[in-house]
Amino acid sequence: MKNLRVARRYAGALMDIAESGKNIDRTAGDLETIASTLRGSRQLRLLTLSPVVSPAKKAGVFRAIFTGRIGEGTMKFIDLVVAKQREKHLPEIIEQFALLRDEKMGIVSIDVTSAVEFTPSQEKDLNNELERYTKKKVRVRLTVDRAIKAGLVVRIGDTVLDASMRRQLELLKARFLEGGPSTN
Amino acid sequence: MEEVRPDEVSEILRKQLAGFEKEVDIYDVGTVLQIGDGVARVYGLSHAMMSELVEFPHGVFGMVLNLEEDNVGCILFGESHEISEGDTVKRTGRVASMPVGEQMLGRVVNPLGQPIDGRGPVRTEKISPLERKALGVIQRQPVKEPLQTGLKAVDGMIPIGRGQRELIIGDRQTGKTAIALDTIINQKYSHTEKAKREGVKPVYCIYVAVGQKSSTVAQVVDKLQQEGAMEYTTIIAATAADPAPMQFIAPYSGATLGEFFRDSGRHALVVYDDLTKQAQAYRQVSLLLRRPPGREAYPGDIFYLHSRLLERASKLSDELGGGSLTALPVIETQAGDVSAYIPTNVISITDGQIYLEPGMFNSGIRPAINVGISVSRVGGNAQIKAMKKVAGSLRIDLAQYRELEAFAKFGSDLDKSTLAQLLRGSRLVELLKQGQFVPMPVEKQVVSLFAGTNGFLDEVPLEHVARYERELLELMDLKYVDLLGAIAGTKDLGADITEQLKGILRQFTDSFKATIKI
Repeated sequence: MKNLRVARRYAGALMDIAESGKNIDRTAGDLETIASTLRGSRQLRLLTLSPVVSPAKKAGVFRAIFTGRIGEGTMKFIDLVVAKQREKHLPEIIEQFALLRDEKMGIVSIDVTSAVEFTPSQEKDLNNELERYTKKKVRVRLTVDRAIKAGLVVRIGDTVLDASMRRQLELLKARFLEGGPSTN
Repeated sequence: MEEVRPDEVSEILRKQLAGFEKEVDIYDVGTVLQIGDGVARVYGLSHAMMSELVEFPHGVFGMVLNLEEDNVGCILFGESHEISEGDTVKRTGRVASMPVGEQMLGRVVNPLGQPIDGRGPVRTEKISPLERKALGVIQRQPVKEPLQTGLKAVDGMIPIGRGQRELIIGDRQTGKTAIALDTIINQKYSHTEKAKREGVKPVYCIYVAVGQKSSTVAQVVDKLQQEGAMEYTTIIAATAADPAPMQFIAPYSGATLGEFFRDSGRHALVVYDDLTKQAQAYRQVSLLLRRPPGREAYPGDIFYLHSRLLERASKLSDELGGGSLTALPVIETQAGDVSAYIPTNVISITDGQIYLEPGMFNSGIRPAINVGISVSRVGGNAQIKAMKKVAGSLRIDLAQYRELEAFAKFGSDLDKSTLAQLLRGSRLVELLKQGQFVPMPVEKQVVSLFAGTNGFLDEVPLEHVARYERELLELMDLKYVDLLGAIAGTKDLGADITEQLKGILRQFTDSFKATIKI
């Protein structure tokens, strides 16, 4: 189970510092570097998860890898995370930081699933329409899933706007089996 | 033969499905973080309400029970092994509820109101939430009508009124369910034309089985059907094999259905059999949701769990139709320990208790009610006058008998009045015995107890008391139906009825004694 409470708290603290130092973008860049390094190296990932290696050694490893590549503020943050033995939550902290940053900048992340690929002009229309709907800047992540058969599914945060054929068929089925489970 | 053209078929289909338009379906979702043992933690569902129904994949429903900072704790009403981490959970936008209506009568349903008797869907017009706040003071009035259980021992000494909450408590195998079932069966008379003439309103019954064996529930259904009691009864079953969350909500479903009858000005009786198992089911889900354990590992709100359930039993004021909901909760004790956590809680919530003892049960006194510690705090107001008159001395006579019984065992010489008291007591104990599934109409109970408390039985040998009662009632049925009708109609024992009754009893007792000597 992800420990979101911890991740959110660390990310929030980092955001406060970055905000007061006015280097949110730089910190975000640093964190992205760390995230991609973690994704790229299985050994480093295993190191963060290992309870055997002492925090001092872990801190040394992080320093050796990232000194010069990331800002001093971010480095100190990593030191703190390691000292508090929360390094295994680093990926989630980075994720939460990105979410906080989006929130600050008024960007909404939206997942759109469609049955067929969009043409560039359709994509642009969709973008405009979603920006009009949410009244915010949007970052759209497109995925294609043939299982929905036709139409599209838009997920904004916890809310789903489902205009897929699959959902319509589900509702139709529920109607046929009246008395059976229906979400409407 | 006429052919059906395909386009005709599609035309009909189109008509049938008119109104089913393609539109965007909007719903809120979350992701399963952790699942197992009937509970799930869900990330997301940020707008979820307390006790909202949520839908998991594979048609499994759940209910929101914990709203935390970063996750939502749900209990599952279905099998959890089909659901895995990362699955999507949908909000339904409605709190857990069940369909209510007369159509529920005669059916066996699960706590969500879905039928499990294989007799097709239940079509009701109304849906009510399972969890409702109990009525306030203004909407209520004191209990005033009797709820006849058909048991001499209960109706005579521990009378239950409509709108009362009377606990049935005892060890396993002491006849707790038998009392509840007899009461349900006895309500049959309230649905007859005769009861209507006497001003007795019908009582609709709900039997909630929590954590019992499926075979036991099947037996109950079968018995009620045989007795013709299913016509006015609904059985809500969450058996031992059902998930703990189902067992936990079952009594609330029963209360919801009962409230439907109560709020439409009718009378309902709901039996919670039993609340010990429900408390255990709630303890299970609470611990799994990581709520802190308290005494006997029950969560801190276990008292509130039962009090808010039993508070829903009530007698409505006349402005609201005067309906009532009577509750008969059942509690099983371990080796007679009434000072355990759950028994003490429920004893303090209810308006009295019927205490059953294994010792009495085994010595053949059935129903095995210990009259000494069984009480009814409000039912006395509801007792009919005739019963009050005959049963008034019953309690005292029995109490004195119990006190003297211990001395009598020494076999020492006793004075005359003591012997008389012992004699009377033993006859009364014998008279209060009653078989299972043979509830007795109140006017016959009155005649029976009248004979006992007025000393007509004192000269009848102990082993003949049962026959005496049987033959007396047969005689009443044959020759004095008018007198029985008068008692039931006036609900009182006037001077003339008393005299008439005494005359009949004198005559009958004499002829009965003659049959013994032969």
